[in-house]
Amino acid sequence: MSFGDAAAILGKSCGKDIDANCRGVNFDSTRLKDCLYRNQDSMSAQCKADYSGAFEAIQKRVAARAAVAKMCEREIVKLCGGTQKEISRSLECLMTTRGVSARCNQAIGDAGYR
Amino acid sequence: MRLGKNSVRYTGLLAAALLAGTLIALAAPASPARAQAAVTTDDIVNRLGGLEATAEVSVPVLRQRALERAKSKADPVPLKRPPVAAELLKLPRLAFEVKFDPDSSIIRPESYQTLGRLADALVRSTLLPYGFLIVGHTDSTGKREYNLTLSQRRADSIRDALVTTFKISSKRLQAIGLGEEQLQDSAHPAAAINQQLQVVTVAKAS
Repeated sequence: MSFGDAAAILGKSCGKDIDANCRGVNFDSTRLKDCLYRNQDSMSAQCKADYSGAFEAIQKRVAARAAVAKMCEREIVKLCGGTQKEISRSLECLMTTRGVSARCNQAIGDAGYR
Repeated sequence: MRLGKNSVRYTGLLAAALLAGTLIALAAPASPARAQAAVTTDDIVNRLGGLEATAEVSVPVLRQRALERAKSKADPVPLKRPPVAAELLKLPRLAFEVKFDPDSSIIRPESYQTLGRLADALVRSTLLPYGFLIVGHTDSTGKREYNLTLSQRRADSIRDALVTTFKISSKRLQAIGLGEEQLQDSAHPAAAINQQLQVVTVAKAS
């Protein structure tokens, strides 16, 4: 899920809860999640159903960036002559070169580079 | 009027502020219905890419220049007040509507999606080589120095959300508030469009 979609769910499902219980807490995933969690008792059903999933989706997409180095290790070194430390330099090559494995391709998509 | 400044009274102008380096159509207010969700990740990527080389823009210098002008009350009349940082107008940039709580740098939940889309765009491989300046603006109501401070806090708040929530590298993001020193529609200084945030591409990794 894209950051945009996850953030939209959060704003839509939990906007009223944030106004009611977390006024003054900014869009900082850690603090906002903590605040919503602390106020679960008075949380709307919609927010309760959606908030963990939305934060998880954001977290997952962030983590997917780190996974690219691992999933594309062979391609970065062998096909693109790059290093795992500087993936950004190899990205264009990874996205345009033939012979990139399915799992590397998947990782690039999951990370939102495409 | 301080209460409610720059808050929910946005009218939802998602300005296509820049096209081929030219300011266009700033006078035409968009309908509220078109607000917010109108800017897509692809739009952002297309608008903010394409900087050839890092621009000669020093944020501390710009900040000082804006502060001095607001303090000295130079260009006292907001109508047709010249932009304090004209160099930014030559760079790839895009205006965003982000809503905040009144007199605060707290981002309203209805603007989370916009922030998420901006983050999505900044992660795209096309934009990865670039560094950006987040520019906060206000309209001309209220005190100039207050507006400068408020817009700085709001720009900082956008940068913080991008860094903390979406883990965009802080090295790629700078923030500045220009208050009412860089009116986006200087012919209508009190218009809501002047409260829009701008993201400007300022740096390119070599």
